[in-house]
Amino acid sequence: MSEGIAFGGLRETAAPVERTRGPRRGIGAAAGRLLGALFVLALLVFMVGPIVWLALRAFSGTWQYPQVLPSEWTFRYWRSVFDDPNLGHSIKLSFIFAPVVTVASAAICLPAAYAFSRFNFPGRRVLLISLFATNAFPKIGLYISMAGVFYSLNLMGTFLGVVIVQLIGTIVFMTWIPTAAFSAVPRSLEEAARDVGAGPLRVFLRVTFPLAAPGIFVAMILSFLASFDEAQGTFLVGVPNYVTMPTEMYTLVLNYPEQAAAVFSLLLAIPSVVLMSFARKHVMGGRLAEGFQIR
Amino acid sequence: MVLPPVGVVAVFIGFPVLAAVAYTLGRADGPNSVVSSLAQRQHIVKHGVTFAAYHEVLTNQSVLRDLWATVWITLLSIAIVLAISWAVALYLRLTDTRLARTVSALAVVPLFIPVVIASYGILIFYGPDGFMKTIAYHVGWHSFPSYAYTLTGVVIGEVWVSVPFGVLMMSSGLNSVPNALIEAARDAGASMPRTVWSILLPLNVIPTVIVATFTGIYVLGSFTVPYLTGPTAPNLLGPAMSNFFSAFNQPQQAEVMAMIVFVLAAGIGFVYVWANVRSSKRAGATS
Amino acid sequence: MSTHASGLLIDRVSKELGGRTIVSDLELEVRAGELTCLLGPSGCGKTTTLRMIGGFLHPDRGRIVIDGEDVGRLAPERRPTAMVFQNYALWPHMTVFKNVAFGLRLRRVPKREIRERVEQILALVGLTHHQHSYPARISGGEQQRVALARALVLEPKVLLLDEPLSNLDAKLRVRVREDIREIQQRIGITTVFVTHDQDEALSISDRIAVMSEGNVEQYAEARALYREPQTTFVANFVGTMNFYRGSAHGDGVTLAGGAHVPCDDLSAHGEGEWEIAVRPEDVQVGTNGGGADARVLREVPRGHYKELVLDLGGDQVRAFVSVDHPDVEQTRVRFGRVLMYQEGVLRRSPATVAV
Repeated sequence: MSEGIAFGGLRETAAPVERTRGPRRGIGAAAGRLLGALFVLALLVFMVGPIVWLALRAFSGTWQYPQVLPSEWTFRYWRSVFDDPNLGHSIKLSFIFAPVVTVASAAICLPAAYAFSRFNFPGRRVLLISLFATNAFPKIGLYISMAGVFYSLNLMGTFLGVVIVQLIGTIVFMTWIPTAAFSAVPRSLEEAARDVGAGPLRVFLRVTFPLAAPGIFVAMILSFLASFDEAQGTFLVGVPNYVTMPTEMYTLVLNYPEQAAAVFSLLLAIPSVVLMSFARKHVMGGRLAEGFQIR
Repeated sequence: MVLPPVGVVAVFIGFPVLAAVAYTLGRADGPNSVVSSLAQRQHIVKHGVTFAAYHEVLTNQSVLRDLWATVWITLLSIAIVLAISWAVALYLRLTDTRLARTVSALAVVPLFIPVVIASYGILIFYGPDGFMKTIAYHVGWHSFPSYAYTLTGVVIGEVWVSVPFGVLMMSSGLNSVPNALIEAARDAGASMPRTVWSILLPLNVIPTVIVATFTGIYVLGSFTVPYLTGPTAPNLLGPAMSNFFSAFNQPQQAEVMAMIVFVLAAGIGFVYVWANVRSSKRAGATS
Repeated sequence: MSTHASGLLIDRVSKELGGRTIVSDLELEVRAGELTCLLGPSGCGKTTTLRMIGGFLHPDRGRIVIDGEDVGRLAPERRPTAMVFQNYALWPHMTVFKNVAFGLRLRRVPKREIRERVEQILALVGLTHHQHSYPARISGGEQQRVALARALVLEPKVLLLDEPLSNLDAKLRVRVREDIREIQQRIGITTVFVTHDQDEALSISDRIAVMSEGNVEQYAEARALYREPQTTFVANFVGTMNFYRGSAHGDGVTLAGGAHVPCDDLSAHGEGEWEIAVRPEDVQVGTNGGGADARVLREVPRGHYKELVLDLGGDQVRAFVSVDHPDVEQTRVRFGRVLMYQEGVLRRSPATVAV
């Protein structure tokens, strides 16, 4: 049972459970509770503070240190960001690259995911793990190595170059998750379809794909975000011709007032928050620990 | 059917990495010719290999400082992330109140925020006119430090970004310990802390290793967080190698640094694989 | 092993969980050294009661008294009880020896004494050869014995067993339950055993508390439960029973379907409507002389006896007869010993209709 943002997991529901404590009396218990409350408060501030602070700043006009809150609230920085040609251009680019990369990634990886799921060929596990491992490696190192070769291939500063760089970051999502999604479709359903006369292609289109679709959809969301939020590779390869929103952030903090940077940050965060909310139930399933063990 | 993604990875990652290795060893021919023609201060040979580039980088004082910073910031981040992950996961597992669930939901907030934004947010939150300094001012602590552009800020940023994975993983691990095992320990007379130490901890070594290794590899090779929140020098190897590549126009040295990071990451990865193999061997031998 | 056994008193205990009343005003007094079974269908509150004794749940009202001491405020780690869990709950990362020794280590018993006591208890349950094995390596029955050893080594005042046999296959269950009984008697420890299997309960308990919907219907020895079930629930739950609605008079009963059946022994007489209960073995089929007309519907061989299902003018009756009972279709039926209930409770003569 996973409800919303609680973590699913193995909870025995057979035996009635109640958290019993002996009678809590005295300084020890009170101190313990105080410590617990402090811990929760500290965690709250630590995790959520920076985002809230940033959001406040995006709507602030005048905000002098050490005021706790802005003395003037305004939307004018929002307007200035939308009116700025450079920033507007990077917003547009981000929304061009992300779908392109997602579609390209799907086209390349989905057939492979199907093969990984349905056929047991030699080296299957090795390949799956190496696809994962290459992504686990420090990205900046990879991009630097890639950039060297990109010069020879004339890909530096090109649209295709940026697409490739962002695509690399999506491969893990587009192979592992759809593989799991396809594997979760019971073979018996496909066999039943064949049994009543459907050919392999029709079985795929009518049975396998629709059932695996939710998982594939999640993979596409994560890939979209991976591409949309991709900063390092685009920074190396795309600049100065192609500057997406995240890459713009690197220099934006130097050249624009803080409020504008805050506005831009919120804009960049919105697709992430919205899409992750869709995908979260899948990402936060309780069997995460088992999925990461090499079997 | 499997060829396309494997092919893409092979061509655009595998091949460049091999070429980069060759370049770091002094070969500027073939795929490395273009980048080499733009580069400065290279160590090139026509035949065989040379370790001159490695020598230069590894004796460069500022690089060594960056390497040292990278290592200890990685270790520190791992320690803090493990502490927070265990604390939150235990809190959720052992109390299961609405407050606990809220806390664990909060711990996962960073998943929703792009790293670039997170870095910027942390930069100003802990900066000279940020929340921390503001609150400190109001309680009379006027000399509270600003962590913007400091290594402390980098640690804060790295930890912030890595906590969700840690909390998810540890929660998953703790949840797969059945209630009966905990009750049996209490029935035998163990207090809650003792139960955590004797039962929950040993049964969750693998998730702990996973969190440690993934966090380690991430922080080791990170770029965005140190670039935005860290000082000019010393900083982590990520921004350092990017500087060598773009600003100083010394791609060969940059690629040497990339190799160093790879080796360190591979070392951590090896720990992960070894721990997994050892645990499945233990499980296999006893079944 | 301590030879002083302790009594357990459950004094008017109630518990509500999730808005439902699981246990309501429960009273039970277990004698020292006795093996008492809590028997009942799912949801009757037996496991909840057990967990309250063990300290994993707190009663909303009432007391739990062990050896004269109210233990209600004690956390499980401090109670003088030890539980054997349904799935054994052996710690997988510890050997059998370490599992059993854990509680002793917590109490800082010196190493030598730990070794002695653990080896002694493992010998008692017959697992000495497995002391250094891991739980995953040993069989289900052996795991169960480890759980038992782990509980007993702490010399608790009360031993609690939560459906300990439900994960074992049928043949093993019989052997293991007898082992448990033997060990329990040898040590003389007060034991509470939860099960939904009446066979289990009837075969090893000193007394059985039949529970339904949070209450004890009857708490007695097996024989009493079988022969004198105090409520219709107990009559139905323990063994097989024929039930009818009808009226009583003189020498027999008249069933709702109209059949008039002569009886040898009615527990109560009187006016009005009765719930009439007869054990299948107390149904006499094919008597020469009086009896209600009956038609045989089905015959089921059961090894050393036969079961007949007969139609008694609209009502069905099950009867146990001997293997060489003649095969006839039309016959006559009499009842031997009949139990009479009103409002679900067993009545005895002299009967009063309104109680």
